[in-house]
Amino acid sequence: MKRLVTLLLVVAVLASLVAACAAPTPEVIEKEVIVEKEVPVTVEVEKEVIVEKKVVETVEVEKIVKVEVPMGSSADRAVEAAKKYAGITLNYVREAGLQAQDPLHMGPIFEELTGIKINVVEMSYLDMYSNQLQDHLTGGGAYDALDVSPLWMIDFVSVGVLEPLDDYIDKYMNKADLEDYLPVYSSEGVMKIGGVTYGLFDDGDVFVLYYRKDLFEDPDNQAGFKAKYGYDLVPPETRQQMYDAAEFFTDKYAPDLHGLAIQRLEGQAYSWFIGPFSAYGGQFLDPDTMKAQINSDIGVRTLTEMVQQNTVMPPGVEKWGFMEILSAWMEGKVAMIITWPPIGRWGSGYGDTAKQLAWVPASNVKGKVGYMLQPGGRPCLAGGFNMGVSADSKYKEAAYLFIQWMTSPTISLQRVMLPFSLRDPYRLSHFESPLYNTAWPEAPEYLDKLQEAMTGQWELGVPGAREYMEAIDNACTSAYAGTDPKAALDKAAARWDAITERLGVESQKAAYQQWLKNPWNRPGPTVEYP
Amino acid sequence: METTREVKEPEARRGLLRRKRLTPWLFVTPCLIVILLVTIFPTFYSLGLSLFKWEVTLKDKPFIGLGNYIALFKDDRFLHSILITGIVVVVGVSVELILGFSLAQMLIEKMKGKRVIVALLLLPVMVMPVVVGYTWRLLWDAQYGPINQIIGWIIGRPFQYTWLAKPWSAMLAILVTEIWQWTPFMFLVILSGLAVLDPEVFEAAEIDGASGWSKLRYLTIPLLRPILIVAVLIRGLDALKFFDIIFTLSGGGPGNSTETLSFYIYQVGYQFFRLAYGAAGSFVLLIFLIVLLTYLLKLFRSALEM
Repeated sequence: MKRLVTLLLVVAVLASLVAACAAPTPEVIEKEVIVEKEVPVTVEVEKEVIVEKKVVETVEVEKIVKVEVPMGSSADRAVEAAKKYAGITLNYVREAGLQAQDPLHMGPIFEELTGIKINVVEMSYLDMYSNQLQDHLTGGGAYDALDVSPLWMIDFVSVGVLEPLDDYIDKYMNKADLEDYLPVYSSEGVMKIGGVTYGLFDDGDVFVLYYRKDLFEDPDNQAGFKAKYGYDLVPPETRQQMYDAAEFFTDKYAPDLHGLAIQRLEGQAYSWFIGPFSAYGGQFLDPDTMKAQINSDIGVRTLTEMVQQNTVMPPGVEKWGFMEILSAWMEGKVAMIITWPPIGRWGSGYGDTAKQLAWVPASNVKGKVGYMLQPGGRPCLAGGFNMGVSADSKYKEAAYLFIQWMTSPTISLQRVMLPFSLRDPYRLSHFESPLYNTAWPEAPEYLDKLQEAMTGQWELGVPGAREYMEAIDNACTSAYAGTDPKAALDKAAARWDAITERLGVESQKAAYQQWLKNPWNRPGPTVEYP
Repeated sequence: METTREVKEPEARRGLLRRKRLTPWLFVTPCLIVILLVTIFPTFYSLGLSLFKWEVTLKDKPFIGLGNYIALFKDDRFLHSILITGIVVVVGVSVELILGFSLAQMLIEKMKGKRVIVALLLLPVMVMPVVVGYTWRLLWDAQYGPINQIIGWIIGRPFQYTWLAKPWSAMLAILVTEIWQWTPFMFLVILSGLAVLDPEVFEAAEIDGASGWSKLRYLTIPLLRPILIVAVLIRGLDALKFFDIIFTLSGGGPGNSTETLSFYIYQVGYQFFRLAYGAAGSFVLLIFLIVLLTYLLKLFRSALEM
């Protein structure tokens, strides 16, 4: 009997070992969401506009604007083709919180059209990288449609997380819609890796300087600034002008108002280093030796300026994230901020009646917001997302059709116009849309500035990019804490060299040189693109 | 006939004995399987993994033996994280012990409202560490945090220091938060220990003219020694794995100045997906845990013998 029991135990152990080697059953987090069904966005406009492309898109305007989607549009094709998958559920990964509101809103609409249920799987931004990777590495197949930052694209593609999309595009997409992307967002290294399309771009994240027009136009301020600095107080175009204006406002109005506020919290502090560093001509890596160049004189200058800027920002700014910036701006406690597009919309009062934005402070700066390019010339294209298809999905085609529908010109316009959406315009049709241009009084100026993403700088997109960026992030926060910027960057550069060495100098060199082929990845104050 | 019945009776007894021996195994086996799946198998798998070079973006994953372990001890960031962990364990646990002991001494006597006071004192330990971290982050806030507000009242002018932005003050904030949360645990364990001490020993010492300090030094502490060691053991092992409050309060920053061993392993393993390197780091942490456990168990045994 003892032998029998021992044998049973051994069998149990072996069985458990075998079971452990098999793919674990993924845990699919299903979230029941009660969504109020709404009809597609209709907005009153005063004039009739007919927009024609290779596929005719007609906008009929009476009292109520009706957007007709004729056969042949990518959205319509996606819906028709997706109907054969009626009854299935697609799991779509999205950043938790406000980012998830847009697919939670659009999902039921897609379900009504196709019969496919969209289950939005929410997770934190950092977890999106690790969870999507982990799911693939464990053969989980828990997700069907993915959200992928351009920063992660090369890692995901090299590991095989993403399904190539070109065949689906050829089969289903109206090719004109590919021309509708702002070229920076469809460039190599963003939607495509090595010429193969792996994602459909979906979020025009670009840093913009928002400034208080009322403060800049105030005659007292203008006179005082001119007296102190010897030149006119104007919305800043250079970093020195920005610092001078910030210093002036802080000296005059603190503690009620400070001149400048920029997110300094660890985790994404590097994003505010990238744009100015590149604009000054800074090179991330020497393309021949692959030695880190972030600790060059340009790097030290950039970081030194960032540390100096902290002195004219509110106390505690070293630990300020997106929410703190939003709160201070909306309450009218800051004269200038550099941040993502949504705050620009909300500050103007757009969406202040949306219940999803009930937590956003009411705007005290409505009608007072001006928009400028990030001073120094090159705004960082900080973040952004592609929608992709998991290579492990059981419903790859259905997942593709969903993302094609979501990113199609007509549907994506509705989405970027949702007041609570964190998705920002990225198609030419978004920027030219009469609906968007009349969404609030300053909308045309706002959209103009977002289009200046065409001068933007992408974050480094080579294997191990997250580690490289984290090293810069650590250098930034160390410098804010008092470490000499040169010493902080030297430490970061040493880490960069160690990362390059570890991942293989030659392979990293090939990846970096490929990345540099994208005009938006080359250093310098301007971008030369075809 | 008699022989058959005699043979049948011993067989029946043997069957009953076999069932009695088998029954405990039937109860224990499911638990054993879970432990094997969740603990033993992953541990050995990680050990094996730590001997390879495993980078998510590299196709080759060659065997490198102790290469990861050697690289760890050449890694300044890893060595710094050991230092920070050491500070949390030594300083944090020591202060918790002293404060917990003092509180227990104060509350061992009968007093009005003692139950309420003890219950209130235990509240911090019942709160999830993540919640503690986020709450204290608000308390330490430079502009709106009550800590700066109170300091401002004391010094008579606005005080807006960013505690979490400098390495030394971030470390102080972390230690204060950690001590706030876990001192009640020490207090509870020591109070329980004090409650079971024989009062006659102390009465006899009083009759002999022993002072309060003498009683504490020569009676209370020696008698409590096994309890104290257990308390330090439990807290020490927990502090070695310190993660939640670092993650929520400082994020390991500024720079890497407040990264503990657990936090660094998390960064390496889950953010950079260097699974083998992270696994090696985990085993180094495991070794530290075993060393601490062994040392304290030895002390415990010698305390019991005394």
